[in-house]
Amino acid sequence: MYSLVQLFVRHGGLITLVVTQVISFHLMTSQNSPQQEIARLSWSWYSNWALEWRNRWLDYLSLRDENIRLKMENARLHTQLTNLRASEIPTRDTVRWQGATDSLGKKLIRPEYVVISARVVGNTLSGRNNWLILNRGAKDGISPNSGVISRSGVVGIVRDVSEHFSLAMSVLHPQTKISAMVKGYPFYGSLYWDEKDPRFLTLSDIPYHLPIHRGDTVQVSNYSLIFPEGHPAGIVDTAYRLQGSPFLYIRVRPTQPPASVREVYIVTNRYADELENLTRAMQAEQ
Amino acid sequence: MKGNWFFPNLWRFLSLLAVQGLVLSGISYNTDGYVSLLLYPLFILLLPILMPIPLVVLAGFLIGLSVDFFTGTLGLHASAGAFSGYARAIILDRFAPQGGYTGKEPIASPAYFGWRWFLSVAGIFFAVHLLWYFSMAYFTPVYFFNKILPQAALSWLSTMPVVTVLMRLFYPKN
Repeated sequence: MYSLVQLFVRHGGLITLVVTQVISFHLMTSQNSPQQEIARLSWSWYSNWALEWRNRWLDYLSLRDENIRLKMENARLHTQLTNLRASEIPTRDTVRWQGATDSLGKKLIRPEYVVISARVVGNTLSGRNNWLILNRGAKDGISPNSGVISRSGVVGIVRDVSEHFSLAMSVLHPQTKISAMVKGYPFYGSLYWDEKDPRFLTLSDIPYHLPIHRGDTVQVSNYSLIFPEGHPAGIVDTAYRLQGSPFLYIRVRPTQPPASVREVYIVTNRYADELENLTRAMQAEQ
Repeated sequence: MKGNWFFPNLWRFLSLLAVQGLVLSGISYNTDGYVSLLLYPLFILLLPILMPIPLVVLAGFLIGLSVDFFTGTLGLHASAGAFSGYARAIILDRFAPQGGYTGKEPIASPAYFGWRWFLSVAGIFFAVHLLWYFSMAYFTPVYFFNKILPQAALSWLSTMPVVTVLMRLFYPKN
């Protein structure tokens, strides 16, 4: 009470002014038709303005949710796209429609990949063995040996998985070997890092007679068990024949620079284990 | 404030109210509202200098509301009167003599402060009052430059000579 009195003593003039103005405004807008009309129009203008700003703010605040929704949508579309690519393989043979079945009634085309969006939360670049940590784990359906790609290129291969995170070998890891090819030529080789210059990868096992030039596109081959076929991997920087070798030395600049990778997709081939087992069996026979 | 301040102010209240309500509001109607002779703010200006600000604001509100009853514009002069009451304190503070107001000069009259001082204070005071009055009359900033400002200026030009004549005639001392 005392502080109220103090407040009035100090700002009594202003308080009285505000009170009398409120009364006057009320009288004006209730008793005089011009002011009443202007007040009504102004009120609707200000309330519309406030409503518009409120909506803008809500839109802005919902951007994060929208972003997550778009990522999920992207992952879904990537799944469809990679499976569509996979489905093109039989159509090169004799099957010309998607619902085609074999003589036992089994579908010839099966969805091959599952794509899950993720974010890089850790990334090493300076060592010999470089790693990435991704914010998706076993609970999200990630399993080891899944491929990690970005929109523009290949990023790495998942090695270990915890409950909520996964550890992936970067393309700058000597054990990361990707089955790749130069676009337009039906020969595949191995794309890996030679542990020298982190700006470049090496594509090996491409026969020397191919007219490969700087600027040609390097993409994932159809023999990759980990990455979807046709996904971009790099651009040829230099290509020349090594002395006495039947193969070319191809230096490749990755289309996804390892240092700037942030938003990625983890691609799991549903049949990877099955294919791996068959490959092992084949190698054992040899 | 000395004891003999009440009746002179009451007299000013009633006479200015009568002049404003019965005579001058007619001029406003005849000129289609473009020129308004507003003399009642003189009552607010001539209230005792040392009167507490809330009371000045209330007195301004009261005379404005009374004028509103005559002119049928309820709230309009009341708002301008209360606003001028508050503005008067700021203007008088700016024009205070060295050492401040002591009470020896009970009202803001040329009898105590001279004509130059009075015309400066009254000029600003009436300008503020008229600007606020026309702003409230139009009730929107849209008309500020083409209606509010010119009408306030014209009204100021016609009001100030009348104020000067009245002060010269009555030369109030309390």
